Amino acid sequence: MEQSSARQEIIQKLKQAPAEPVGPRPVLPPLAELSMTQEELVKRFTERLVEETGVVYRVKSYEEAIEKLTEIAQAENLKKVMVSTDEVIGQLNLPAWGTKQGIKIMTPLDFADRDSYKDAVFLEADAGITGADFAVAESGTLGIRHRKDQARLISLAPILHIAVVPIERLVPTYEKAIDQVFANKNSLPSQFVFITGPSMTGDIQGVLFKGMHGPRKLMVILIG
Amino acid sequence: MNKVSLFIPCTVDLFLPHIGEATVRLLRSLGVSVVYHEEQTCCGQPAMNAGYQKEAQKAAQHFLEVFGEDEIIVSPSGSCVCMVKYHYPELFENDPEWRRRAEEVASRIYEFSQFLVDVLHVEDVGASFSGKVAYHESCHILRGLKVSVQPKKLIQAVKGVELVPLNAADTCCGFGGEFAYHYADISESMVKNKVENYLASGADLLLLGEPGCLLNIGGYLSRNHPQKKIMHLASFLADYRREKA
Amino acid sequence: MEPRTEKFKELVARELHNPLSQKFLKVMPPIQNMKRSIGLSTFPDIEAAQAYGAAIRQEAIARLPELLEQFEKNALANGAQVFWARDAQEANEYILKLAKERGVKYVTKGKSMVTEETGLNEVLSQNGIEPWETDLGEFIAQQLNLPPFHIVGPAINVPVEEVRDIFMAKANLKEPTLDPVELGYAARLFLRDKFHHVQMGITGVNMAVAETGTIINVENEGNIRYTKASPRTQVSVMSIEKVVPTMKDALHLIRLLCRNCTGQKLSAYVSMDSGPKKKDEIDGPEELFIVIVDNGRTKIYQDLKARQVLRCIRCAACLNICPVYGQIGGYAYGWAYSGPMGQVLNPLLLGLEKTQDLYRATTLCAACKSVCPAGIDHPSLFLYYRHKDVTVDPYFGGKARPAQEIRFFKAWAWAIKRPWLWNLGIKMARPFINKNAREGIIRQIKGSFADWFRQRDLPAMAENTFHERWKNLKKEA
Repeated sequence: MEQSSARQEIIQKLKQAPAEPVGPRPVLPPLAELSMTQEELVKRFTERLVEETGVVYRVKSYEEAIEKLTEIAQAENLKKVMVSTDEVIGQLNLPAWGTKQGIKIMTPLDFADRDSYKDAVFLEADAGITGADFAVAESGTLGIRHRKDQARLISLAPILHIAVVPIERLVPTYEKAIDQVFANKNSLPSQFVFITGPSMTGDIQGVLFKGMHGPRKLMVILIG
Repeated sequence: MNKVSLFIPCTVDLFLPHIGEATVRLLRSLGVSVVYHEEQTCCGQPAMNAGYQKEAQKAAQHFLEVFGEDEIIVSPSGSCVCMVKYHYPELFENDPEWRRRAEEVASRIYEFSQFLVDVLHVEDVGASFSGKVAYHESCHILRGLKVSVQPKKLIQAVKGVELVPLNAADTCCGFGGEFAYHYADISESMVKNKVENYLASGADLLLLGEPGCLLNIGGYLSRNHPQKKIMHLASFLADYRREKA
Repeated sequence: MEPRTEKFKELVARELHNPLSQKFLKVMPPIQNMKRSIGLSTFPDIEAAQAYGAAIRQEAIARLPELLEQFEKNALANGAQVFWARDAQEANEYILKLAKERGVKYVTKGKSMVTEETGLNEVLSQNGIEPWETDLGEFIAQQLNLPPFHIVGPAINVPVEEVRDIFMAKANLKEPTLDPVELGYAARLFLRDKFHHVQMGITGVNMAVAETGTIINVENEGNIRYTKASPRTQVSVMSIEKVVPTMKDALHLIRLLCRNCTGQKLSAYVSMDSGPKKKDEIDGPEELFIVIVDNGRTKIYQDLKARQVLRCIRCAACLNICPVYGQIGGYAYGWAYSGPMGQVLNPLLLGLEKTQDLYRATTLCAACKSVCPAGIDHPSLFLYYRHKDVTVDPYFGGKARPAQEIRFFKAWAWAIKRPWLWNLGIKMARPFINKNAREGIIRQIKGSFADWFRQRDLPAMAENTFHERWKNLKKEA
């Protein structure tokens, strides 16, 4: 059929072209983060994310994380939030917290379909609260596998994104995260994202500012 | 090491012969005897740059015959040295014999400051100059030959001189051969920037190693700032040498 | 986008006298270059990092057919659908068909230069489907109907007054403002509604990883993530050279891309798609279509020298460092691709005849080559294209040079091997060249060199050339 002939044509033309030997890869010295202790990684992660106007809190336990969330909710005047249903968020029991604080806690599971969920996350949620699979020290970056319990728009549509991350999930470099995420070709996440700070742009006269289409504020609560 | 063969670019031959003379006198003062093959004509860069590679090959063949196989070749120009070093082997990529000859000569050709510092191991040529100078990093010398430390060492060894920083020293001055008159408005804009940076540097004198840049920047200075001075490094070092008693 | 590459000189003249462009060009590129240096300094060895990137891209292009097959196999296994388009028309018609089949009224677009190349937006709007560019710079350029000024910041030069006016006219801006932040916020509100209800989104692709069948997008604003999260259908368009061998290779290139482009260690968002969403996910595309576009690249690939242009990762480091770009800005290059990367790519995609100025308007200063993380040797390509043009090469679409020039170089080559003739020619030319010389300075010569003398003098040709002075110099020894 037509398609297979377009594909054939393109591939054939490429294959019949003169061959070019593949050159050697030069030696690449390892990044400094690879030889850091966990405390150094926490420090590096924090420095890098703060450079991008992210806010990083460090707490010792899930209980303290809840206390921190309470502070944030009051400071940001949060009324309704959309939250993931991943294993970290699960441990926080946010529905109970929400009831106590008078904050409406929504999860994607509350909605019958994509459209009603989208209405909520675009129009109602003051914040999105999610876990993250990784915190990458080299650039203050969160790594998130999107799946049923980690929907995409939660960390994108609301103006504030709060991520809760146990420090065991801290890794020095992107490779350490990617090695795990892409280990098995047969079970790849539909989408994996690296998030570094709030959304931003410099497209008007090169003036940089945060909060273009995605969140304007990013807060990370590190537990441990 | 005590004898070199001089390769004089056409720009120097026709418009700036004093640079050639300065090069000869300076080398002799350092105990180097200079040979000049009078049959030399042009390295072929104008044809190469205009896309006339067959014609450039003719120039290359003539050059390779003239400069034989047993000399060190020195030139007060980076772009001509780059032409021989990098483009001659490419021009003969399908001709193994000429290619071999080109590669052989390419291994023995040096830009002027590169020769003094890296081969002769000389930095102090015995010159003195009280004043501030700035150095323009010509593209072929800096990026083509990776020569930057050498001219600055030669300058800094001059007694009494102060080498001042030049903003955007490594940005092209806008010469580019044919470019200067085929795209004159862009070229003018670039040389104007270069001169503004020279004026802002506080230097009394602008030094450089490329005759093309000298014609370009010098030409703009002559028309617009005739009192501001510019010299080729070889002329500077030769002219300001303290005469032996 | 219709090429205007033949209007180069005219556009250059206009831009050199455009105070807004000139003001912008004095400030932005130097800042970008400084940020780039700072960003790269996080590598223990910057040269090695850049060389490693060049090695990855060299391998990707050397192994192109095999890697594309591997990518397709893995992408299909992930549940994506793959469409191969030989040219712009096939790509545009396919995407239009997808939109029509799904009853889509509008699409949101993440930045994609290859779709600017193919003119996708025009095809969609002519067929009643509104294409909303959502990258802020692309959105502004689209609303103002302007070509891109810079490949990464297409409207970065547009004065805030113009942005305010167009946003008031077309983007629901209620209160006039000159504050870029408030203007950006207005765009956020306006486009948010589009993201909310979009049914089909179109993105480009920064990298397509062969090892896993994954497509990767790099962005700061979030518009691409929206385009991949909100609609049921996602179409991602890639030209054939976007493929890289492994995830590890992709990560290193992303580090290089971000630092070379904006000086960032990583852009705000990097999203990696391996197929459409899983059945139990509430957002993400139900269908993922990957469109692989040739549009002249398999032809480029046949030539071992020319094919290095396919290594480009679109970082724009070459634009920011180029002294010519720094005088004229992006409009003069006349197409989707500007700066040195446009000067090496456009002539191959459009033919040498239509792009005569693009590979000639350069001093061969090699600043571009010195910053390129993909190892492209732009100056050597410019020389190559000039050679192909002079020889009227049919494959590259060369055009015959003026007869006078051909005659000149023939004579020049004849004389060059005959020193007596060469030197005689010089002697004979001297009185003509020095005709207008006063006190050793020439201020004017008529003819092909006339333009030199608008702002510059030339020393008169010496009474004795170096050749002629050698006799005395020889004696001095």
